[in-house]
Amino acid sequence: MSPTSTAKRLTPAMADAIAQEMRSDPTVYLWGVDVTVGVMGPTRGLAKEFGPDKIRDCPISEAGFVGAAVGAAIGGLRPIVDIMFSSFTYVAFDQIVNQAGRIRYMTGGQLSVPMVIIGSAGAAGANAAQHSEVPSALFMNAGGLRVAFPSTAHQAFWLMRSAIRSDDPVVFLFHPALASARGEVRDEPLHLGDAEIGPEGTDLSILATGMMATRARAAAAVLAERGIWAEVVDVCSLSPLPWDAILKSVRKTGRVLAVEEARLTCSAASELAAGITERAWADLKAPVKRLAVPDTPIPFAPTLEESLIPSEEDIVKAAEEVASA
Amino acid sequence: MIDRRTLPSRKEQNGQMTEKVVLKERGESWLRTMVRGRLFEQSLGELYERGELVGVVHLSIGLEATAAGVCSNLRKGDQITSTHRGHNHMIARGLEPERMFAEILGRSTGYCGGKGGSMHVANFELGSVGANGIVGAGVPMAAGLGVAAQKLGTGNVAVAFCGDGAANQGVVWESLNLAALWKIPVIFVCENNGFSEFTPTDRVTAGPGIADRAIGYGVSGVVVDGTNVGAVSAVAEGAIDRARSGEGPTFIETRAERWRGHHEGEESYVGTYRETKEFKDPIVQLIQEMDAAGLDGSLLYEKIHAEEKDLIERSLAVAQQAPLPELSTALEDVFS
Repeated sequence: MSPTSTAKRLTPAMADAIAQEMRSDPTVYLWGVDVTVGVMGPTRGLAKEFGPDKIRDCPISEAGFVGAAVGAAIGGLRPIVDIMFSSFTYVAFDQIVNQAGRIRYMTGGQLSVPMVIIGSAGAAGANAAQHSEVPSALFMNAGGLRVAFPSTAHQAFWLMRSAIRSDDPVVFLFHPALASARGEVRDEPLHLGDAEIGPEGTDLSILATGMMATRARAAAAVLAERGIWAEVVDVCSLSPLPWDAILKSVRKTGRVLAVEEARLTCSAASELAAGITERAWADLKAPVKRLAVPDTPIPFAPTLEESLIPSEEDIVKAAEEVASA
Repeated sequence: MIDRRTLPSRKEQNGQMTEKVVLKERGESWLRTMVRGRLFEQSLGELYERGELVGVVHLSIGLEATAAGVCSNLRKGDQITSTHRGHNHMIARGLEPERMFAEILGRSTGYCGGKGGSMHVANFELGSVGANGIVGAGVPMAAGLGVAAQKLGTGNVAVAFCGDGAANQGVVWESLNLAALWKIPVIFVCENNGFSEFTPTDRVTAGPGIADRAIGYGVSGVVVDGTNVGAVSAVAEGAIDRARSGEGPTFIETRAERWRGHHEGEESYVGTYRETKEFKDPIVQLIQEMDAAGLDGSLLYEKIHAEEKDLIERSLAVAQQAPLPELSTALEDVFS
């Protein structure tokens, strides 16, 4: 089945990609908690086609089943683990960071760990501090892990295909509030390591992922009405960072706003700001600005939650500041 | 309600003699493996003493019978995951002393190009995905290797070596749960040497015993004398056969004391934390058993010891002359 220009929602696009890979590669397995039911979306419907052996429900023991996926990956399978909320990776942190992310290196390149860990990332309304985080920066810093964070069905489909085929462990995040976001899946493959640019612009570059990328695109439309042409760089591959694409945009606009739905300190936005300043200082017309969540956990009450996470209006305001600085 | 009568019970397999026919067939191989491991680690101890080793080394002198007894029942394609105290597992799996020395000395010819060191020696072709610096962390990986073997239909099994310290890591029991549920061809081998690093394990471990915990998962828990290579081998052989034929995991607890401390050089900052005494020697025990069976273990030992001593000395000399890694390799092997 070719995905040519099909309107898809985001998590079903992930499921499509998984199904395509499973049909063509018998070593692809998927396991996690409640994956048969498909509670979180990316696995919904897969059990019907592939059965309970390929789509396997696990006990709620993240360290155990992630560790088993690491071993299975070394042993010749391509396991996909659905961890549900990405905050649950913290339960399995040793296996993800200290094992999966280190094994190729520690063994001098002898062993590969081709596995994908899927988790939702971000606030979807009143899920409170332990189910609402975007942990991408932790995994960017871990070393040896690839990180993908698509914001559209198109990105989700192609990056998932690329992630399953990768010989490295991939942390694959999606925003729960974008799970049903509908979009075209075009016949234009994206690969891990790519960024996606759009809309194009000349006045400033807005770098963002997940819900922030969605809001950045909406903000760009508002800014355009006010005569500010913002270029949105959706950094849907966060590790390794797609510096070529990022710097190309930065050198064109000379102004940068990095937005992230995560705590500011040591966030992806912080890394982007530092990296751009080091690499493209001469091209910058204004200081790089970061817009992120204050250094607090995510609160429960919807009004509190909303107050901490950059909104479309926040992005417009920050972009106007950068454009006029 | 769980019907306790249907649960497997803990078995104790201690003190039995290995049959002469088995000793005749396998005694020499066990002896050679254990002597090689012993001499390899004694060399490491001496190197450390002379200040010629960097990093931390954890010796398993006194525990050779578990490695030799278990691994002598594995075949090509089977995989093991090991622990920070893993040199004997690697030797028993057939890794070459020369490349192991080179790895531990940080040389380019080491199994991992000098990027792993003592705690990460690995070679997939020979059936070891590696030692591990995190207590218990190799155990779920062994379960996963078993799943891969099961799904790829290779007929291979995996062995998860861990220590008594790991018996208090949740992930070990999470793995046993998965292994029991999915009938994974994996064998859990817990080497109980009595100490979790520097702390007596019985001071930090609740319940009647480590192997007893397996019974709660519906898995046989077997306790075996870890200084008796024949006894270890007999238990492991049965467990490996069952795993290979699709009957799932067995949990084996081997009991033997480590002769050395948690790691070499600990005397410089740790006081006396355990009594000094004479430990049971698995090598001497095997020699005596062979002698008693009329197989002249003593004479065989003389021969093997001389050959292995020569091998270890030559291996070390070559490893010491091996080049250091190119500095550029420090940036390689992060991603595929």
